[in-house]
Amino acid sequence: MSAAALLEAAPSGRLPFAGRTRARRSMARTAFRSLVAHQVSFLFGLLATAFAVLSMLYLWRAVLANGPLHGFDWPHMRAYLLVTFVAGSLVSSYVDYRMAGRILQGDVAMDLVRPVGYQDARFAEALGFGVYELGTGLLVAAVAALAFGGVPGPAPGELGAFVVSALLVMPLRFGIVYMSGLVVFWTQNYIGVQAGRIALVTLCSGALVPIAFFPGWAQDVLTYLPFAGMASTPALVYVGHLAGAEAWRAVAVQAFWVVGLWLLGRALWGAASRQLTVHGG
Amino acid sequence: MRCVSLIEVAQLRKVFRRADKKPGLAGSVRHLVERRFVDKVAVDDIDLRVEAGEAVAYVGPNGAGKSTTVKMLTGVLVPTSGTVHVEGRVPHKDRIANARRVGVVFGQRTQLWWDLPVRDSLELLRDMHGLSDADYRRNLERLDATLGLAELLPVTARKLSLGQRMRADLAAALVHTPPIVFLDEPTIGLDIAVKDRVRAFVRELVAEGTTVMLTTHDLGDIEDICRRLVIIDQGRIVYDGDIGTVVETYARERTMHFSVAEAPASLAGIAARLPDAAVAEGPSDAQLDVTFDPAVVSSARVLAAVQAEADVVDLRIDEPAIEDVVRRVYAGELGAGGMQ
Ligand SMILES: Nc1ncnc2c1ncn2[C@@H]1O[C@H](COP(=O)(O)OP(=O)(O)OP(=O)(O)O)[C@@H](O)[C@H]1O
Ligand SMILES: [Mg+2]
Repeated sequence: MSAAALLEAAPSGRLPFAGRTRARRSMARTAFRSLVAHQVSFLFGLLATAFAVLSMLYLWRAVLANGPLHGFDWPHMRAYLLVTFVAGSLVSSYVDYRMAGRILQGDVAMDLVRPVGYQDARFAEALGFGVYELGTGLLVAAVAALAFGGVPGPAPGELGAFVVSALLVMPLRFGIVYMSGLVVFWTQNYIGVQAGRIALVTLCSGALVPIAFFPGWAQDVLTYLPFAGMASTPALVYVGHLAGAEAWRAVAVQAFWVVGLWLLGRALWGAASRQLTVHGG
Repeated sequence: MRCVSLIEVAQLRKVFRRADKKPGLAGSVRHLVERRFVDKVAVDDIDLRVEAGEAVAYVGPNGAGKSTTVKMLTGVLVPTSGTVHVEGRVPHKDRIANARRVGVVFGQRTQLWWDLPVRDSLELLRDMHGLSDADYRRNLERLDATLGLAELLPVTARKLSLGQRMRADLAAALVHTPPIVFLDEPTIGLDIAVKDRVRAFVRELVAEGTTVMLTTHDLGDIEDICRRLVIIDQGRIVYDGDIGTVVETYARERTMHFSVAEAPASLAGIAARLPDAAVAEGPSDAQLDVTFDPAVVSSARVLAAVQAEADVVDLRIDEPAIEDVVRRVYAGELGAGGMQ
């Protein structure tokens, strides 16, 4: 084919569905590989999370030494903490760290000359990072479980709800992380935003303290906010504190927020790209 | 609106709002309460049409608004006002469709994943553009022929030298054989050999019928690639026309800088031998500069004249910089002929 014919043949418009799927898979794979390329930071990350989870377990063992609290005995608390830990390791900070850095340095321009939606691409990358985060999270959780004498299995009869709930954690966490990454378009600084986001999610998702330990009014509010679905919901379904219709209702709240946060993220991106700027040469 | 040209830009304007902050923490806090901004007009009502197959040099001094224009043409930035159409599409509204038709290089930035081999980044772009394996391989071979890509494919992007990185980035921008290519300073920081290679590559693109818009500070880049020159200064287009006219009128002059063993008592002797050139004292005693038009006085004659009067130790020739041309054009030295 001649060069001129090649130019003519260059396609336009959006890719068909199969092509978009291939593009997403490719983005996810690339993101995953870029993390694997950092073996040293991998080891340090593993150590840091292992310490975090061990100190949580020691703390709660001490708290529950005198018997169960709010329906949690020590074995179930272990299971709860490890599930929230694995959930919390998803979409931890690679996505927003990378996003914010690229926005602040103007490299976001290079993201925008590619034929993929910005949010789509970040989500695909988050999935790739997520495979890695899930792998390391499960590894640390398994070792911790062994060290503390195992954990009970998932509540029988709730397996279906647990699986769906667990699958919704990643898109849900992505929603909040994506939006906090976009905030740098306005703040021009990310450290504070990220710290605030992590504190908010950790507290309100029940990853630090189960929501059942909060005052009644706070429990009512948190049930309907998006945060519970980021850690507490799958963990409560796992240990059987949420069962039957109640479990599915909590899963429905998760699903609602997955869609809601995605749309909010899209609106935020619209606002950011309309009035804001891309830096430098 | 019916679009006749490949690229149509009308009354295009981009204003950046910058926070007007006093320095230090106090300034930052004060800014929270009393939000003050300064407006910076980066692109100021420009009109531009580019036809299919044209090669346009888009030049201007630092901060003139070149990159901002390219960013609006690629849908990265949303214009403050005015219209942009590329193949009839509005880039920022139809960004994805536009991205499949254009290739972009921002010389100071990279498309490559820093931690991965170049091959991985290119394969990612293959999938983003939905290229078949056969098309992809064929395009890589074409790019390899001019850019020497093969040796770069297995190298992690962060380990590439600047020149290698630029070659890989050109490949990344062109792997989908876009019919429209924007090159924003593709030769920045490159040595002569790599520059030549990049120029040859761009010339080939143009010969193949690709529409190219080339931004650069290097006159050498544009002289043998582009026929049309657009000069922008402070956000406004100050010249749009034939490149030959400008180069002949303003970029003809060369300056020879001489170092001599002993400062001559007076420059009058040299000046008398070179009536058509300007002879001036250099930055120090034992230096002098001769500015001349090679079409009128040959370099050899200049050298001979100086050697006859002084003992030449060293010499260096300055080619005219695009900035000089721009400055002179802007100062109104070029007749209205070329102006829009
Ligand atoms: N994000 C931004 N916020 C505020 N001002 C900006 C921003 N981006 C660019 N500018 C300003 O707009 C003007 C034009 O910038 P632009 O990058 O388009 O220049 P340029 O012609 O590409 O210059 P150079 O040759 O230095 O690359 C400059 O004064 C610059 O400071
Ligand atoms: Mg620039």
